[in-house]
Amino acid sequence: MANPMEQLPEKIAELVHELAVLPFDDMHYERPVVEAFVLTNYVVWGIMALLLISTLFIIVANKQKRQLAIAGEGDVKALAPTSRLVGVLEAGVDFIRNMAIDVIGPKDGPRFVPLLGTFFFLILTSNMLGLLPGGKSIGGTIGGTVALALISWAVFVWVGFTKNGFMGYMKSLIPSGVRQMPLAARIGLGGYIFLLEFISTFFIRPLTLAVRLFANLYAGHIILGVFSAFVLLFMKQFSLANVAVGSISFAFLLIMYAFELFVAFIQAYVFTILTAVYIQSSVHASEH
Amino acid sequence: MEAAAATLLGEGLVAIGKGLAYGLAAIGPGIGIGIVGGKAVEAMARQPEMAGRLQTTMFIAIAFTEALALLGFVLTFLL
Repeated sequence: MANPMEQLPEKIAELVHELAVLPFDDMHYERPVVEAFVLTNYVVWGIMALLLISTLFIIVANKQKRQLAIAGEGDVKALAPTSRLVGVLEAGVDFIRNMAIDVIGPKDGPRFVPLLGTFFFLILTSNMLGLLPGGKSIGGTIGGTVALALISWAVFVWVGFTKNGFMGYMKSLIPSGVRQMPLAARIGLGGYIFLLEFISTFFIRPLTLAVRLFANLYAGHIILGVFSAFVLLFMKQFSLANVAVGSISFAFLLIMYAFELFVAFIQAYVFTILTAVYIQSSVHASEH
Repeated sequence: MEAAAATLLGEGLVAIGKGLAYGLAAIGPGIGIGIVGGKAVEAMARQPEMAGRLQTTMFIAIAFTEALALLGFVLTFLL
């Protein structure tokens, strides 16, 4: 009887092809309508996540607005959640709002709730869609995560410059203790710290934001794919050992699937809270 | 050594290097995240009412520690 593991390299190659960025309509693909704009599988699934979550929010917001209009302005009780969907989304928005106020501060926090909420819900929905068989998450490709990280980067750099001015923001990269030292130490130590902080703020921050999301989700998809391949290969031939290994793989696949659901949430949360922390460090740059 | 054998050997060495690059880069952050998590649990056990804020701080600390492992991950692709 043939060893099931012999076919594993083929299955892995299939898996990597499945996870690659491909034109969406792979079968009938001839050439893109516009050369630079190719509708890839990841883009289509990303747009689906966007449409799904924005439709839900628009429907719920309109429903609440209608209720408020019927009850009359100022009657806040009419805004109480009437269905589970409303309750869940409201709890989500409240969660983001509390996070923004906790991290950024009560004065500047509420201004960034739309941005943080968009990041959180878009990444969460997209990660969940990516866990469907055949589904793709925008976090599963480095292009998608770099785009998100660049938006986050642009916002916190812009906030830093508008709040502190160009020189103020640059000066804030050096700790205030160093700024009060003698001139020689200020130039030597301050210059060194400035170099480190400059690289860390403007290059390492967006890089790690993008790579963290990508690495976690890509690794998760690979693990799920490898265990699915194990199950398929071992269950094909009926013998006691094969069925035993296949069953163990399947059990592990289920456990990993549950873990990936957790990772989908935690990565959306980490991306959002890190954006909030970076914005906070820009808003309060002159204070430390 | 024949050219084909040398190419094969080179590919093998690159594969080993990739594995080592990520494996070694993960050691430090692994220890670091362990310390962060352990200390966070300790702090939450001492002051359960602070659990929410401690959790936020813990995630931030983990994110900064994790950055080193992520640089190793990027290096794996660059090799």
